[in-house]
Amino acid sequence: REKQLVEYFRAQMRKDPDMASAVAAIRTLLEFLKRDKGETILGLRESLKWATDCLTGEDSSVAVSSGGELFLRFISLTSLEHQDLSRCKKVMEERGELFLEKISMSRTKVAKLCHTFIKDGAKILTHSYSRVVLRVLEKAAAEKKRFSVYVTESQPDSAGRQMAEALRKLNVPVTVVLDAAVGYVLEKVDLVIVGAEGVVESGGIINKIGTYQMAVCSKAHNKPFYVVAESFKFVRLYPLNQQDVPDKFKYKADTLKTVQNLSEEHPMIDYTPPSLITLLFTDLGVLTPSAVSDELIKLYL
Amino acid sequence: MPGPDKETDLTERIEAFLFDLNRGGSGAGPLRGSAETARETTALLRRITAQARWSSAGDLMEIIRNEGRRMTAAQPSETTVGNMIRRVLKIIREEYARSRGSSEEADQQESLHKLLTSGGVSDENFRQPFAALKPNVIEAINELLTELEGTTDNIAMQALEHIHSNEVIMTIGRSRTVEAFLKDAARKRKFHVIVAECAPFCQGHEMATSLSKAGIETTVITDAAIFAVMSRVNKVIIGTQTVLANGGLRAVNGTHTLALAAKHHSTPLIVCAPMFKLSPQVRRLSFLSDFYRYCEILSKVNVHCPVFDYVPPELITLFISNIGGHAPSYIYRLMSELYHPEDHEL
Repeated sequence: REKQLVEYFRAQMRKDPDMASAVAAIRTLLEFLKRDKGETILGLRESLKWATDCLTGEDSSVAVSSGGELFLRFISLTSLEHQDLSRCKKVMEERGELFLEKISMSRTKVAKLCHTFIKDGAKILTHSYSRVVLRVLEKAAAEKKRFSVYVTESQPDSAGRQMAEALRKLNVPVTVVLDAAVGYVLEKVDLVIVGAEGVVESGGIINKIGTYQMAVCSKAHNKPFYVVAESFKFVRLYPLNQQDVPDKFKYKADTLKTVQNLSEEHPMIDYTPPSLITLLFTDLGVLTPSAVSDELIKLYL
Repeated sequence: MPGPDKETDLTERIEAFLFDLNRGGSGAGPLRGSAETARETTALLRRITAQARWSSAGDLMEIIRNEGRRMTAAQPSETTVGNMIRRVLKIIREEYARSRGSSEEADQQESLHKLLTSGGVSDENFRQPFAALKPNVIEAINELLTELEGTTDNIAMQALEHIHSNEVIMTIGRSRTVEAFLKDAARKRKFHVIVAECAPFCQGHEMATSLSKAGIETTVITDAAIFAVMSRVNKVIIGTQTVLANGGLRAVNGTHTLALAAKHHSTPLIVCAPMFKLSPQVRRLSFLSDFYRYCEILSKVNVHCPVFDYVPPELITLFISNIGGHAPSYIYRLMSELYHPEDHEL
């Protein structure tokens, strides 16, 4: 059963490489819900928790974990309204489809909000490969704005080069810079836009390693630091420093399974505190970091 | 016939208001404070509600939105007009929801919770006509007008908590709100005020004259002396033209300098701003292009005369409004209570 689940998840990711991993996870869980033969709501919740654990075992990113938790919350809220299981399941399936539809529109909403902040002639710095940032820049280019982009290489997987390729296809002048050159290039730059793998309760973000560095440098240079993220990435974590981020997010899933001594491994993500972030662009609107915890409270309490 | 007469009367009034707004901006017409503009806008909107032809809430909102767009286009720098229109739109939505009997007024905001639990297409198209809607909306607008009338007094009432005896307060330019604030504190406390003159219009001079008539010891300084004098100042109290959604300000030119000097000396910066100045706009990297007015005195010299400054939220300590004191990080919350997200773009 586990293999089926993981296979479905992988197939979803392969089918649409543009889809966020959290969306693929939620789609998988919805499919799992449809095929589930359980008799009680409690049993359903248990099996869904087990399914989410399987998925995080496959892809340990924060986004998958937050997507799974959101789905679980969705189930709890719906099950409170309908006591009868079969009726409940029908409602869940309907709402699940609706939910998926809505969140597939979220990137477009974010792009619509953010592109107005990119003025003609702007020089933008971004980090690694983010599909949301790409969508924002696509929209700005479609609005006939002229801007140029600096992308960090983002080792160890050189994801920045992928981003540069994608931007070249849009005819946007792009320069790939070393991760170490962020401080050097910031004086030329007008604004910094990054994506996020997770948005934590304090309003800070968890993103590819190197984001924190970029944020500290932009603060020092007084450049605005914008984050673009969809709302399903909001996660109930409250790290106070880098060490507080759980190990299960810091390293890739395979690394966690195979390696004994994690202190020899390089973390793949870091935490950027809210004091360094100017604004967050989400499908719920333009938020200041202090507004994020409000949104999470509305959902979870 | 009463019908067409009322309509022409209404259109005349709207045209007159737009004309005044337009002139006021270029300096030719009567210079009105933002409180008057807010009051006049709200009164005009009440008149539109009472006299224009509409059958459902959706129609009324369309009419108000159209008129609103024309009004904001007439004078883009006067943001109170747009703010009042958005307040009235929110009032209409609330009254409509109340007439329909739905208890969830808070349900209107986008949120993660709403994403998960909404059962279907939540498109409210506001088409259902209700007989009681018109008087309800007019009553709510009247309440809004009463609130507007009391704002300066409500703010001034809080003065005694913030100003203590023998303090040195600094302010810049002329703000009616700050004037009332300081005069109210002067009834019971003795303190000293330093006013930066705020060239080139030098409104600071009028402020100083008015304050000294109320018996407050006042000193006028040039804008260049702000940093030098700041070390002796206990508090900085300023007014503003607009409060932006991120907690920043659009205030008279020179305010950013004042704020930076205050930050450097760790002097608290208090902004007295009534709620109708809160605007859902966020400051973009505007390169200050919307803030400028050009004056050409010689043929080869261009004089840039910015009217407004942007002050980022990190430099502000406290906002005092008619509903109490707030931190800049709380402004987003007040915004969500005053305006509906769909009205942010008129």
